[in-house]
Amino acid sequence: MTFRKDTLWGWLFCLPLALGLTIWVAFPLGVAVVMSLFQWNMISPAKFIGLGNYVFMFFTDHLFWQSLYVMALYTVLSVPLQLIVAFGLALLLNTKAKGMGIFRTIFYLPSLIPVVVSTALWLWMFNPQYGYFNLILDTLGLPTQEWLSSPDMVIPSLVLMSLWSVGNIVIIFLAGLQGIPKELEEATQVDGGNAWHRLRHVILPFMSPVIFYNLVMGVIAGLQVFTQPYIMTNGGPANASLTYVLHLYKQAFQFSKMGYANALALVLLVLTIVLSLVVFKSSDKWVYYEGDKK
Amino acid sequence: MKKGFALLVALLLQVCFAASVLTAENIKLSFMFWGSPAEDQAIRKALKDFEGANPGISVTPLFATYSGAEYDAKMKAMSESDTLPDVGYFGGSFYDYASNNFFLDMTPYIEKEGLKKDYLPQTWLTYKDKIYGAYTAAESQVVYYNKKTLQDAGVALPPTDYKKAWTWDQYVSAWTKLTIDKGGKHPGEAGFDPKKVVRFGVFHETWDQMLFPVVWSNGGDIFSEDGKQILIDTPETIQAIQRLADLRNKNLVMSSPGLTEYNSTSKADPKVLLQNGQIGFYVSGQWELLDFAGMNFPLGIGALPIQKKPAQLYVSGINVIFKKTKNPDAAWKLQKWLMSPDKTLDLYAKGLWMPTKSSWYTNKEDLAKWVNNPAHPAGFKEAVLDSMTISRVAPARIKNYTQIWSEFVNPEMDLIWLGKQSAEVGLKKAAAKVRASGLLQGLW
Amino acid sequence: MSLPQVRTNRHFLPRLFIYLGLLLGTVIYLGPFVWQVRSSLMTLSNIFAYPPILWPEDPQWKNYVDIFSIIPFGTYYFNTIFLVVWNILGTLISNVCIAFALARIPFKGRKTLFALSIGTLMIPSAVTMIPTYIQWSWLGGLNSFWPLIVPSFFGNAFFIFLLVQFFRSIPREYDEAAFVDGAGYPQILLKLIVPMAQPAIAVVVIFTFLNTWNDFMGPLFYLNDNKLFTLALGLKSLLSSYNSYWHLLMAGATLVSLPLILVFFFAQKSFVEGLTAGGIKG
Repeated sequence: MTFRKDTLWGWLFCLPLALGLTIWVAFPLGVAVVMSLFQWNMISPAKFIGLGNYVFMFFTDHLFWQSLYVMALYTVLSVPLQLIVAFGLALLLNTKAKGMGIFRTIFYLPSLIPVVVSTALWLWMFNPQYGYFNLILDTLGLPTQEWLSSPDMVIPSLVLMSLWSVGNIVIIFLAGLQGIPKELEEATQVDGGNAWHRLRHVILPFMSPVIFYNLVMGVIAGLQVFTQPYIMTNGGPANASLTYVLHLYKQAFQFSKMGYANALALVLLVLTIVLSLVVFKSSDKWVYYEGDKK
Repeated sequence: MKKGFALLVALLLQVCFAASVLTAENIKLSFMFWGSPAEDQAIRKALKDFEGANPGISVTPLFATYSGAEYDAKMKAMSESDTLPDVGYFGGSFYDYASNNFFLDMTPYIEKEGLKKDYLPQTWLTYKDKIYGAYTAAESQVVYYNKKTLQDAGVALPPTDYKKAWTWDQYVSAWTKLTIDKGGKHPGEAGFDPKKVVRFGVFHETWDQMLFPVVWSNGGDIFSEDGKQILIDTPETIQAIQRLADLRNKNLVMSSPGLTEYNSTSKADPKVLLQNGQIGFYVSGQWELLDFAGMNFPLGIGALPIQKKPAQLYVSGINVIFKKTKNPDAAWKLQKWLMSPDKTLDLYAKGLWMPTKSSWYTNKEDLAKWVNNPAHPAGFKEAVLDSMTISRVAPARIKNYTQIWSEFVNPEMDLIWLGKQSAEVGLKKAAAKVRASGLLQGLW
Repeated sequence: MSLPQVRTNRHFLPRLFIYLGLLLGTVIYLGPFVWQVRSSLMTLSNIFAYPPILWPEDPQWKNYVDIFSIIPFGTYYFNTIFLVVWNILGTLISNVCIAFALARIPFKGRKTLFALSIGTLMIPSAVTMIPTYIQWSWLGGLNSFWPLIVPSFFGNAFFIFLLVQFFRSIPREYDEAAFVDGAGYPQILLKLIVPMAQPAIAVVVIFTFLNTWNDFMGPLFYLNDNKLFTLALGLKSLLSSYNSYWHLLMAGATLVSLPLILVFFFAQKSFVEGLTAGGIKG
């Protein structure tokens, strides 16, 4: 194929991507940047205030710092736990036991239930009077909890709920596990290694790229958590579950501070990029790729 | 040839005439509203009846499954994109919009038809002396109870005359007698376990409007008349809020909080709990009657508790016509229809709304039309209807009300209801923050 | 002393632990769904009875019928299917073409495009959400299906990544043989690559199906007229500030999740295969 023809075909096929990046990414980003310099409530004309929104954000808006804290707490708690639980489940499912198909469906089930319903179910389970969890705690003789009604327990409760919908992560781990060459596993068996040994020296290193991928995705998702606090607690009690994106949403749609909301969004973007780069950089230390010799 | 030509012209004229008649007659309006599924059906029926009485006008109902802040936000988005409906409900940011010229000035229509005097004076919402909105209905606070539950527990039924209602303390002792734990003990008795309660005496809604009658009854207030001061930290208001908080944390007659925001679906439906006997009393708005009507149990109504004096709330959504409507006359017809109790009787008879037309309170026949039915239990007239004469309108004209309440007051309220801080501490903190925020700018 | 050997190759835990773990996991993960189904078969007042009723004595199957009359559930079903079909179409057409070019055609700017595409994964949707909404309002697309269908025709970073990885694993000898035979890029794509990439394409289709079926935020933002509502949004309408029809909601939820469960159950083999061969490891 000649050089020019390649370029022609390449760009032709990639036209949707190029257009998509322009229309759905570059342009909105541009609009967001411009709008963040204005004050606009959607019904009166916009007012240019330069960096006013950013000044307000960092020096006056106490909810900005609160929401950052909430988002950080949620991410720090949920991501490692999700990875561990999902990995454990993937190991369990990676067997040739009968009925694996059914079990896989069961563990994936929570991701298939509409979010409106799963939040309702969990709200009931968390209910201090009538809920499942306190019923179990009580039967076991343990003290009952306030769950979502307590400023201290609300984020841990949401984290607990997030462990239930790890279906997507499990599937990806499972795919990774099934890609481990049989020879490697058999080799350690012959050497007299036990299960724990296999885990540490074969499975984990081999899976490190997959773990890395899920880690990055998990962090990005954790920073954006919105739907559950939105439906279940609306940021309460006393803003203890006001995640960053929820704060943004409220500023935009409940108080109509469109300019400010866009400023918040851009700060989040910067934060996400920085954190992703940090995780990427650290990956050199612990992620093994198949071709490498260590 | 000539004949053919004449025929063609005649045909053409016929077609043009038919087209003009059809397009002229077929006016399309849209009406946006919120509410429960039952309200959805009731409104749709009212709209269909309107279409029947006004051939040539069709109305598309736009039902929003959310209300309050989200509804406002949706409105804003729709105005941005020029997709606003013709007529619709409106909420908090009414004055924001009115001042930005979003609503049709209804004054000419109202004056032409001489309607003003027929309606309760507080019905009309004006901005700069022009009428831009009308309260959809008159709605108020009501004390509901389950007659059977009270009889079984040996609790006297509360009086229905709003002037002779029980005091707060009398209600609390009734609620205490109703609250019972697994071991059959009441609050205050040795061995009572607040974590094992089988029935609570009361569930009192605590979203903002539901607090006002309690505060007013104790002589307190939220804002000053001119809207320039916040009064939530006055001793009377503090005492009223503390009494409410005590229901949960001291008297132990109310379940631990779901969350303050009205849109919370975290609690089990109190109406169902009332029916099941899992709560004895429920204090909410009179619109609940619509749903209670479909539930089969002996519903009772009591007069609101009196602290220092009787108080009642007048609250409602607002009906507006949007300025950008292409058919203002037809839109007005729809608006008038929705304000006429005789045309939309179901909405009133089924308990959802109370009329804004004065005669429907005073005229015996009209009164009977909407009150004499199973949806309105005995006691409704004396406890609710009559109390409307002393009702105060919820503060709507205060600038920045939504933001003040949502950003500063509510978070403190959350902690007060949880018992983590006293009403005095919380309200004083909130008031100070509001004063410092610069959001107190008076009335619209 | 090593733990007892197990019969098949891939086990590294004794069978007992595995089954115990699966049992515990099943209770935890299936529990809420069972609760949902049991609530869907009860009357509204019984749902909140305390102590909780584990399974109704007289199942209210009529809830499943009532839901169609209280809200236009049939319309919601139809709308959702409509959106799903179009989204699958758009996703397949765009992403397969784009990934093919990025994986197989050595053209100028390929690396940059790919990097940019991956980069978009880091952009929180909150950033583009509001400007995109305003863009659509300028185009008059609000309260219609356009904002919910059109973007799928422009590629999706996650799917592009997946398909590129998969395509890269197909040996180039096939391509070269085809070139010698006089084939052009379109033929290679359609007759060669696509048939070989079935597992990966299956993954794309299934994920698109699941995401569109349950999408809540998109319809929430863009749809006003409830004749256009989807199932996810329609379910929300059963819950309101004033009154909530929990029993119908649960019945509706079961009706909504059942197709997804069936699709997943029958397709999971190809699902995992498609992800494995695609080599997320890369």
